[in-house]
Amino acid sequence: MNWTVYVREKTQLLFSLDTWLPTELPEYATGIMYTLGSLTASSFVVLVVSGILMAANGPQWWTISSIGFYLRGIHFWSVQAFFFFMVLHLLRVFFSGAWRGGREKTWLLGTLALLISVPTAFTGYLMRGDFYSQWNAVQAKDGLNALGLAWFNTLNAGQMYGLHVVVFPVILAFIIAIHLAMVRIKGVVPPYPGPDEPHDTEEGVNQNVPSAH
Amino acid sequence: MYHPRTDVTHRYRYVSTDFVKHLLGTTLVVTVVTMALSAIFHEPVRPALKIDTYANQHPRTFMSVALNALNGQGEIADYGPPYNNGTGSVQDVVQKWVGIIHPVYPKTDFILNPLKQASHLDPQLTPALDAFEAAAPAQQTKWEAAFATALAHARVVSGQVLLPPGPYGPVGPMMQDMLKLGQSGLLTGALNRSPADYQFDNQNSLLFLQGRPLQDAASKLELQGNQWGIIHEENAPYPGPWWMTIVTAIYQIPFIANASAADALALGSGMFLFILLMVAPWLPGVNRLPRFLGIHRLIWASYYRKYQSASSKPPEQTP
Repeated sequence: MNWTVYVREKTQLLFSLDTWLPTELPEYATGIMYTLGSLTASSFVVLVVSGILMAANGPQWWTISSIGFYLRGIHFWSVQAFFFFMVLHLLRVFFSGAWRGGREKTWLLGTLALLISVPTAFTGYLMRGDFYSQWNAVQAKDGLNALGLAWFNTLNAGQMYGLHVVVFPVILAFIIAIHLAMVRIKGVVPPYPGPDEPHDTEEGVNQNVPSAH
Repeated sequence: MYHPRTDVTHRYRYVSTDFVKHLLGTTLVVTVVTMALSAIFHEPVRPALKIDTYANQHPRTFMSVALNALNGQGEIADYGPPYNNGTGSVQDVVQKWVGIIHPVYPKTDFILNPLKQASHLDPQLTPALDAFEAAAPAQQTKWEAAFATALAHARVVSGQVLLPPGPYGPVGPMMQDMLKLGQSGLLTGALNRSPADYQFDNQNSLLFLQGRPLQDAASKLELQGNQWGIIHEENAPYPGPWWMTIVTAIYQIPFIANASAADALALGSGMFLFILLMVAPWLPGVNRLPRFLGIHRLIWASYYRKYQSASSKPPEQTP
């Protein structure tokens, strides 16, 4: 296939309204268990909005002004919410065997998002400017130096600030966006067939159920 | 709607949904909850350890930190890459391979250069500095050793460290001047000097503090690595970065904690475990594990109740 046609087709799928704002969902993919991913994404939105407001005013502001301090509290608690919902989502997805039926890359991107979230949040801890920042900066340096990652200088507040407010969030947002699109494009993994239900694939995805469409 | 070429879920019954409402709902929930939590609990803050506060409260330890920077016995003086060509903290060949990309030489950067700057304000510092720099290394070592012995028995009176006269040469006045500089609050600025003179980098002031000053304060707050330090907040009821639990747990294994390459081993094995999680779909056995664990029966409980009756009825079809 011509690569420009390929890009065009993929982009059309990626940016389609059906991908992002569906009007119907499989019956099994509803309820609180299927809200955990959305709650994670919503926590990320709150993080980005509160983060933009903080970045616009600068590091001193969130330390000395009462509004800045309040906003910083929102940012802190939405990090907690983000990881809380993400870990619950991960558990739900794992116990569903959600990589079945050609969804391996969706899982891979989800875990990659979790992996990138750790330095994203950690560099934020280094931006607090308190004892916790000082202590974690000096504690983390030895491991990073030992792994050959001395370039990532936790003691350099300027570098950590840039990584925290731009580099990591942009990478994370990109991974989350592709992950969400893949969840939608591939469809949410169907339930494991029950003991008395026919199933004919290795992954346990029931292919014998007649098409509804 | 589904994507017919990739999605097999259309074999199942679909129900109407309003995803705009769904996303706005979850965002509203998180916004309200985090606003409330911030209003009630704020974010925990433990004031930073400042060099002047430390020098005033612990003048003798401060002087010993400065002396270790001067005589090369401090951890950073013998750290190795990426700071200098020491060997004390080199854990593996990759660390050496990266090279000295953040050069720090404590004798010059922590002591001699700040004192030279201070000598512009107090010219009496200059003779001691000149004498020290003109002396042979063996002589410098003798002065430093004599001062170290005396410092162990020094008295502290109203923030001053009192030592009996001894063969310290210029090291005595230099250390007293370092203490004054530290207590004045000017040392932080003297340590964090970027060539561009526009400061974004706390590296040297943090490396100056990273030994006894930060270690002692962290021990009191139970923040040391062997106290599960990195993942809990100093203020007990607050959650810390608990998402680093696995790596922190690895540090509690004595075999790793006591190894000379503890950090490389802990972070390396944490990364290895995480990669296993990432490639779970391709790991034979692991990729079929969830089915046998049976938790999915709870996740899809209502679905199974509806369709997994004794009659083995397939899902209903949408019109």
